[in-house]
Amino acid sequence: MAWTWFHRLGSPPYIYGLAARLTPWFAWSAGLILIAALFAGLVLAPPDYQQGEGYRIIFIHAPCGWMSTMVYSTMAVSAAVGLIWRIKVAHAVAASCATLGASFTAATLATGMLWGKPMWGTYWEWDPRLTFELVLLFLYLGYMGLRASFEDVQRADRASAFLAIVGVIDVPLIHYSVIWWNSLHQAPSVMKLGKPTMPPEMLVPLLMMFLGFTLFFVAVLLTRLRGEVLRRERTASWIREAVLQ
Amino acid sequence: MTFLHMGKYAQYVWPAYGIVLAVFLLNVLWAQRLLGRARREARRRLAMQGETP
Repeated sequence: MAWTWFHRLGSPPYIYGLAARLTPWFAWSAGLILIAALFAGLVLAPPDYQQGEGYRIIFIHAPCGWMSTMVYSTMAVSAAVGLIWRIKVAHAVAASCATLGASFTAATLATGMLWGKPMWGTYWEWDPRLTFELVLLFLYLGYMGLRASFEDVQRADRASAFLAIVGVIDVPLIHYSVIWWNSLHQAPSVMKLGKPTMPPEMLVPLLMMFLGFTLFFVAVLLTRLRGEVLRRERTASWIREAVLQ
Repeated sequence: MTFLHMGKYAQYVWPAYGIVLAVFLLNVLWAQRLLGRARREARRRLAMQGETP
């Protein structure tokens, strides 16, 4: 009985309708929170005592980094669920994550380079954190390329699922690289055990950004998922009502 | 003007924000295009089957 909701999530018409109903809520809340977080981060938060105003890149760089690993983890878990329990919707979720994750990983690298130049004196360094983040971008691109190389959706699902699952090893490597190896990159200041090392006037806008980015991810994922489900279920009888809505 | 100047870091801060804004807009655009294309394809299929959506 308790698992009925979970089983319903595997039904394409149910998930299509649910995604359509939930998307506006996530999109609007993401928009409002991001606007408030931008104001708090750019205007209200004080300058850093060492980095001055340049540290304000953290309010977008850290959430982009969070997106890059969180979206990949979502993709890998969905791919594993799809592979183990043969749930088509789970594969559709995994496929819907790739473009989003790749674009935010590229943004993490780009914003990190723009932050690195004035602070480290260089745009790029083969530092463990930066290198593993670059590997993550290649994993996303590999996943997308692998999917595109198959005509048959089910074969694409299976092959890409293996890559997504194997590649998830990069996620803890990204997170712990700054602890395990000597790194130019700063150690975690928010996502760590114990108390964050940031003052509240900087931490609050940053946490708002994390929330806004995550809500945005869900809104875009649900929109992509609807398209993906429609594409896969094009011969199903329920499509008629869905298209007429 | 002081705000736009960002100390001496404007040339790094604003492009970084611009990139992220572009990523947000592109993701919305790509998602809408994917859904729109799938809907058009479904309508075309239904029309070919003799149903009029």
